[in-house]
Amino acid sequence: MLTEIQEGKALGPVVRHITQEKINLYAEASGDFNPIHVDESFAARTPFGGTIAHGMLNLAYVSEMMMSAFGRSWLSGGKLRAKFKESARPGDTLTITGQVFCIEQESDVSYANCSFECRNQKNELIVTGEATVRLPSGRQ
Amino acid sequence: MPDRAISYGELTPGYKFPPATYELDAYFVSKYRKAVDGTADGFVPPLAVTACAIAAMTKSVPLPPGTIAIHASQELEFLKPVPIGTTIECHIALAQKIARGKMSMLVLELEILDKGKEKVQSGRATIALPG
Repeated sequence: MLTEIQEGKALGPVVRHITQEKINLYAEASGDFNPIHVDESFAARTPFGGTIAHGMLNLAYVSEMMMSAFGRSWLSGGKLRAKFKESARPGDTLTITGQVFCIEQESDVSYANCSFECRNQKNELIVTGEATVRLPSGRQ
Repeated sequence: MPDRAISYGELTPGYKFPPATYELDAYFVSKYRKAVDGTADGFVPPLAVTACAIAAMTKSVPLPPGTIAIHASQELEFLKPVPIGTTIECHIALAQKIARGKMSMLVLELEILDKGKEKVQSGRATIALPG
């Protein structure tokens, strides 16, 4: 899998459909019951006009894509920087894509630098960022 | 948990919240994977580890009443795989408290240790509090 990593390689896509049920499941799993995510009547009275998905739920999909591409290297030596640009809402379909934009060599270690983004079905940017993965030595 | 609740006004950069401990058992991991449609690989998904730290953060950080907290950005570094069953300790410190007009922002540093006190993740979260 990692032998295929080279500059320009496309990552993903990972496609996920957001529902209130999934947001509630995420709240239960993570313990984050912020009412903007789970209380529909509260959220309706905010400037958002309704519930929104946890940013960390959207970011979990990015991590899933990175895990598929880089396996255990992502778990041990992965870094990311993400900006949450817009909120994902129940009913949205999110598509997460990325690209290896550069492979750097430092001493004997190679690093894959990647960009990623998460967009909804209207092509609105939900999450954007960069990730770096330390590649195993001996990779050709 | 804190000895006494600190108020939002009392929060100053450098403040360290009391550490929170979580056991990442198979039940937790299974619930998390179901929520994120994740695949199983024998380790705790790294963002599940982070989710505990974020939950600890949301419980610890005292926000003014009626405030909506929005996650604006997140930086993370994964230092080692976390086996299922690991107990982690989440340390959170306030790095910056910024006021821009009606908008406030908190920048929080996260450090997650395993039972052997080895760091498994570190990161930085920016939380926006629209006025």
